[in-house]
Amino acid sequence: MTLKKSASPQQLRWRRFKRLKRGYYSFIILFTLYLLSFLLPFLVNNRAIVVKYNDKYYFPGLVNYVHDTFNLGLANIYLADEFNQTGENDDPLFGEANYRLLSSQFEEESGDNYVIMPPVPFNPIENFLSLDGNPPHSPSSIHWFGTDDSARDVFARLAYGFRISISFALMITFISYFFGIIVGAFLGFYGRWFDILGQRLVEIWGAIPFLYTVIILSAVFSPSFILLVVIMSIFSWMGITYYIRGEFYREKTKDYVSAAIVTGENNLTIMFRHILPNALTPIITFAPFAIVGSIASLVALDFLGFGLPVPTPSWGEILKQAKASLRDWHLAVFPLVAMFVTLQLIVFIGEAVREAFDPKVFSRLR
Amino acid sequence: MSEILLEVKNLSVRFPIWGGILRQKIAEVRAVENVSFTIKKGETLGLVGESGCGKTTTAKAICHILKETSHGVVQEGEIIFHSENGPVNLLSLNRKEMRFYRREIQMIFQDPFSSLNPRMTVSEIIQRPLKIHTKMNKKERRTRVTDLLEKVGLQPEYALRYPHEFSGGQRQRIGIARALAVRPKLIIADEPVSALDVSVQSQVINLLEDLQDEFGLTYLFVAHDLSVINHVSDRISVMYLGRIVETGSAEQVYSSPLHPYSQALISAIPQTDPAKRSDRIMLKGEIPSSMNKPSGCSFNPRCPIAVAECSTKIPELREMNDHHSAACDLLELK
Repeated sequence: MTLKKSASPQQLRWRRFKRLKRGYYSFIILFTLYLLSFLLPFLVNNRAIVVKYNDKYYFPGLVNYVHDTFNLGLANIYLADEFNQTGENDDPLFGEANYRLLSSQFEEESGDNYVIMPPVPFNPIENFLSLDGNPPHSPSSIHWFGTDDSARDVFARLAYGFRISISFALMITFISYFFGIIVGAFLGFYGRWFDILGQRLVEIWGAIPFLYTVIILSAVFSPSFILLVVIMSIFSWMGITYYIRGEFYREKTKDYVSAAIVTGENNLTIMFRHILPNALTPIITFAPFAIVGSIASLVALDFLGFGLPVPTPSWGEILKQAKASLRDWHLAVFPLVAMFVTLQLIVFIGEAVREAFDPKVFSRLR
Repeated sequence: MSEILLEVKNLSVRFPIWGGILRQKIAEVRAVENVSFTIKKGETLGLVGESGCGKTTTAKAICHILKETSHGVVQEGEIIFHSENGPVNLLSLNRKEMRFYRREIQMIFQDPFSSLNPRMTVSEIIQRPLKIHTKMNKKERRTRVTDLLEKVGLQPEYALRYPHEFSGGQRQRIGIARALAVRPKLIIADEPVSALDVSVQSQVINLLEDLQDEFGLTYLFVAHDLSVINHVSDRISVMYLGRIVETGSAEQVYSSPLHPYSQALISAIPQTDPAKRSDRIMLKGEIPSSMNKPSGCSFNPRCPIAVAECSTKIPELREMNDHHSAACDLLELK
């Protein structure tokens, strides 16, 4: 006799989701891209992946080689002197090595030494002021998407901006869901005056103009990534409470809750173990759209200049520069395309999730 | 006769109706009024009546479900449970004290489609009461689940399935297994078969009877199906509009009902034998709302034998002969 656990409702929905090709492939693409974005130091970086020098291996993309080169009590990222890298007029270089040049230097020396650079050998906060003309530079074969007004590579900034945007949105969604679920569960489960009072408080909180508050807070504190996530989460959990509260109101009248009471379960167990798994449908369906909303608000905040601190790579910041110099089409087109594709993929996922959760198997999104 | 397990004395349950801007109490539903009955160990008491007469409310009051879920519900009277540690009034217990008695009183629900949590496997569902009330380890709990599933006629390999994979009858068996898990003394069966197909009904009823023999269970069996009640019950209480109008052995109530409502009710059972067919007593009017009950005997507007004084005096349940009582003042006058 083999005891095989059969498919839970959630697993059945996952199977149905997999059958909805557009959403499923969007999910795979986005998920892969997001995973890849954690390898960005090896894909888009001005530090080499591997340097072999005098039979020693270095991994500057992974490890910070810190060393007090001049014995001044200052920690420096060294390696330039370690590799005997030379700059103009064959002067020895100190500090961080320039791996792009190091590569050609090693080739000239034609020894065993070599440098393996990432496919895109630029850092998102590196200024290429030595390029011809004034920044922003138009797209070229070296800088595929051109550079921005500080001569930073737009492709590198978009790539790092993708990771930041998605991480930002995921964190906000997670935190606001966490608090929204707890508050909504209590309001819905206990009901009565607690619900009436609690809901009014939630409404008052929700009536605080979000953007102004963020602007004021940004002016007082210098916004960091974490601070922005916290501020945004503080103002985005309210919507979730309404869904969860409604679901709890509906679910708590069902017999399985009475059965749990008769069994002798305590209230917290009834709420979070018995009712909550049955109350998640609307907010799971809503999650992709919440993520879209968070990405869009981050772009908006960065566009207005109240978002992430410079020089953090962000899409909104590039768009802001595009507004300042409309002639440089590449500053507007590439971030917008990146945003459009990302948001579209998430919306496709959202549609498929909604459909996978639809109890009517044959209904279609029209 | 054997000893008494559960004694309900003058139980009244009133639900408030909230209204207005300030959500104050604007009216009251008197769902159960002055209900008294006793259940002896090992017997089955059938509680019968039409929908809305308060039978489910009575069942839920015993299990403290009303106390936990209905705000502002008023429950008066006494529900005395004779446990091993002596009698205890369940109504006066708080949630923590009640928890101790929960393992002796379990409930089977009417709707097998909503009484099982769709997100838990059968094994999880049956293990919950064990986790709460016993100190069994995981292995012991699993063995108990397998035992229970066999007892209720399900294959043990169903343990890891989810409720949506089962038919109504199978789900009800899972509900029964859950109720049996902690070896209770009293099982309150709230219309356990009314949501099932007729063919499945008899299977579930037979299962309940077999389990009663095996574990020495006591049932409070709530139903509106007269033939089901007649089949399972040792004694029957007939309810009308929140009151018990007649109590007696199944035999007495079925063959010689005393109260005019019971008579009408019994006459409505379809008879297969044409010789036994008698004229059906047709009641006039409809069952009144329990928010606005008629004065006096609540049955008087529909009663075929009502007299003027019926609308002024509320009749008490009186024993007419050998443990057979009815709440009708006219019975002696006849």
